[in-house]
Amino acid sequence: MEARAARSPGSGFWRIWALLPVVLLAAVVGVFVTSGGSLVELIGRNPPSLDEFEIRRVEFKSGEIRIRVTNPQRDDLTIASVTVDDAIVPFSLDGDRELGRLRSATIVVPYDWVEDEPISVGVTSSTGIETTEEIAAAVETPGASVKGVFGYGLIGFLVGVVPVALGLLWLPSLRRADQRWLAAFMALTAGLLTFLGIEALGEAFERQAQLPEPVAGAGLVLLGVALSYLTMTFLGTRLARGEQSAAVGAGALALLVAVGIGVHNFGEGLAIGTSFAFGELTLGTFLIVGFMIHNVTEGLGIAAPAAESRSRLGVRRLALLALVAGGPAILGAWLGGFASSDLLAVVFFAAAAGAALEVVVEVGRYVARRATGGLRSGWVLGGFLAGIVAMYVTGLLAA
Amino acid sequence: MPKSRLSRRKLLAGAAPLVAAPALSKLVLDGKASAAEHAGHEGHMLAGAAMVGEGTPAPGGPHDLDDLLYPSAPQPPRPGRVREYELVAHDREVEVAPGVFFPAWTYNGTVPGPVIRATEDDLLRVHLVNAGSHPHTIHFHGIHPANMDGVFEVVDVGTTFTYEFPARPYGMHLYHCHSTPLKKHIHKGLYGAFIVDPAKPRKPAQELVMVLNGFDTDGDGENNFYTVNGRSFYYARYPIRVRRSQTVRIYLANLTEFDLLNSFHLHGDFFRYYPTGSGDVFEYTDTVMLCQGQRGIIEIDFANAGRFMFHAHQSEFTELGWMGFFEVVD
Repeated sequence: MEARAARSPGSGFWRIWALLPVVLLAAVVGVFVTSGGSLVELIGRNPPSLDEFEIRRVEFKSGEIRIRVTNPQRDDLTIASVTVDDAIVPFSLDGDRELGRLRSATIVVPYDWVEDEPISVGVTSSTGIETTEEIAAAVETPGASVKGVFGYGLIGFLVGVVPVALGLLWLPSLRRADQRWLAAFMALTAGLLTFLGIEALGEAFERQAQLPEPVAGAGLVLLGVALSYLTMTFLGTRLARGEQSAAVGAGALALLVAVGIGVHNFGEGLAIGTSFAFGELTLGTFLIVGFMIHNVTEGLGIAAPAAESRSRLGVRRLALLALVAGGPAILGAWLGGFASSDLLAVVFFAAAAGAALEVVVEVGRYVARRATGGLRSGWVLGGFLAGIVAMYVTGLLAA
Repeated sequence: MPKSRLSRRKLLAGAAPLVAAPALSKLVLDGKASAAEHAGHEGHMLAGAAMVGEGTPAPGGPHDLDDLLYPSAPQPPRPGRVREYELVAHDREVEVAPGVFFPAWTYNGTVPGPVIRATEDDLLRVHLVNAGSHPHTIHFHGIHPANMDGVFEVVDVGTTFTYEFPARPYGMHLYHCHSTPLKKHIHKGLYGAFIVDPAKPRKPAQELVMVLNGFDTDGDGENNFYTVNGRSFYYARYPIRVRRSQTVRIYLANLTEFDLLNSFHLHGDFFRYYPTGSGDVFEYTDTVMLCQGQRGIIEIDFANAGRFMFHAHQSEFTELGWMGFFEVVD
C-alpha cells in the first residue's frame, strides 16, 4: 500500500512522459523531411518511379470502352495517351488527368469493338510508360439490370445453396450410422475443409502477386487469414457458452462449419462473377454442374457434426445452415459481377482460407475429444484423407 | 545557312528549354501555365533558329516544327564556299505526343536534329559540341575521308570535334550518332537529314523534309509512337499547306529504330520517287518502302486541290502517330 501511495502522485507526470517518444519522433521526422532527401544522396540515388497505372476494370458498352485506372504509386501520375489494340485513340475522362496517390479515374473511349474477339487496352503516362491490359474476349459488360441481378443470384443459388441443402439430406442416414462411421465423416469434413482452405490460400497468393506492388504482398493474405481465423475463434467461443461444456458442442460446430463454408462460397461466387464479367470464363452448364457436385460434399460436411448433436435440428434450423453456408455465393456473384476489385478478391480468398482452417481446428478438437481412439484411429485418418480425395476428384469437374 | 559562334553562355541559354521542357505541357495540363508561358515566350523569341545557342523550337504550336519541315533554300554552286554548322549534343525531354515526354538525346534540342544542307563540292565544316551525358559522334552518309566518318573519333562529354569534308555526292542523305550501343544512341534521337544539292540546280519546288522515326517511351524495345519530324499526329492536327501550281518536293529519310521497315503512302495522287535522290531514275508510284537509313526524294504534282492524307502503309504505325494531311490549295 505504501509503495503504491508513494508512486501515485507522480502518475500524471509519467502518463505525459509516455507521450515523449511520440513527440520526439514527430520532431525527428520533421527534421528529416525538411532536410530534403540529403541522406539519400550520401548513399546513392533513388530509382525513378515505375509510372505504371493499375487498370482495375475494363467495361464494354455499346460503341464504348470504359477503363478504370488507379495510380498505385507515391508520385503523381498523368494520363497522357490511350491505346486500344496498339492504336492511339481519342478519349474523355471523368476526373483529373493527373492522378494523386491511389486516386482513380475512368477513361471513356468511343470505340467500335468487335464482339468475342481478344482486345487490349493501354494507358500511357506523361513519362511514356504504357500499362496494358489484355482482355481475352470483348463481351458487353452487363449493367446492374434486374435481369442481371436475377441471373447472378441464380448462379449463386445453384452453386451455393442447392448443393449444400442436398448434402444436408444425408443427415438422417448419418444419425443412424455407427459411432466410428460418424467420426470418419467428421474427419472427412475436416479433410474437405483443409482442401478448401489450401485452395483458397493458393488463390489468394496468386491474386496478390498480380496486384500493383504498393498494395500487394503476402502480408495482405495474412491479414485476411488472421481476420477471419480470429473472428471465427471469437464466434466459436461465444457459441460454446450456450453448451454445457466450455468446448464447442456438436450443434455449434455445425454452425461454425456452415459459416466457414459460407465464407468460402462467398469467394467462389466472387470468382465466378468476376471471371464472367471480364469475359474470362465460359459459364457453361457443365461448369455449374461441376461446382454443384463439388459443393454437395460441403453439405455433407455440415451434416456430420449436426448428426452428432443430441438435440434434433428442425427443418428451419437446417434451412438456416444451408443458407449460411450457401447464401454467400449469391452475394459474391453479385459483387464480382458488378463491382469487383482485385484487392477485395485477395482479402476474401484469404478470409476463406482463415475461416476454413479455423473450423478444421475446431472439428479436430471435437473429434479428439469424442471419437473412440481419438485423432489416431484409422476411421478418422481414413475419413480425413477421403475428404481431400473427394474434393480433388469433384473439383476436376469444375476445372 | 548562317554560321554561329558558340560560347559557354550561349550553351547555357540553349540548355534552358531543357529545364523548361517538362512544363511545356500547356496543351493538356492547365496547372503549369505560368511555366509554359515562359517557355513559349522563349520559343517565340528563338523561332527560326536551328543552332542550340539560338534556342530550339517550342512544342505545341502549329509552326514549331517548321525548322525541321522547311529546309533552307538551295544555294547555286560557288567554288571554294564553306558551309559551317554547329551541332550541340545535349539531353532534353521532348514532347513526342501531346502530353507525353521522352528523355531524348538531341542534336540542338530537337529530334530529329537540324537539317544540314550543302551544295555539291561545298566544303562542309560541322562542329560537334558534346554537352550531353555520354560520348557521341556524327556519322554522315556520303563520300568522305576515313577519319571523318564519325566512328573512331569518339567525342567525349565536354569536348568538341570538327568534321570537315567536301559535300558529295548530291542526293538526300542523313547523319546520326555512331557511338555504341548504337541502337540506344539512335533511338534516343541523335539523327537528322543531310541534303546535298546537285551542281546543276533542281527545278524550283515547294521543299519539305520528312524524317520518319519512332519513340520507345517505355524501354521495352518496341516503339510506342511513330512520327514525322518528331511529334505524333502533328501534321494531322496542323496540315501542311501546299500550292497545286508548283511541284512539292519531299526529302524523305527513315530513321526508325527497332522496326525493320517504314513507308510513305500518299492518298489521291501519284509521285515520282528518286531513290537516294542521287540520279534521274525514278519510280512513278504512291507508296515507297524504306529500311532504316534508306532515303530518297519525292516529287508530287498534285492534280487536285483539297485535303489529302499521307501516312505509313503499316497500319500500326499510322494509328500510333505516323499520319498527316496535305492541304492543297489552288
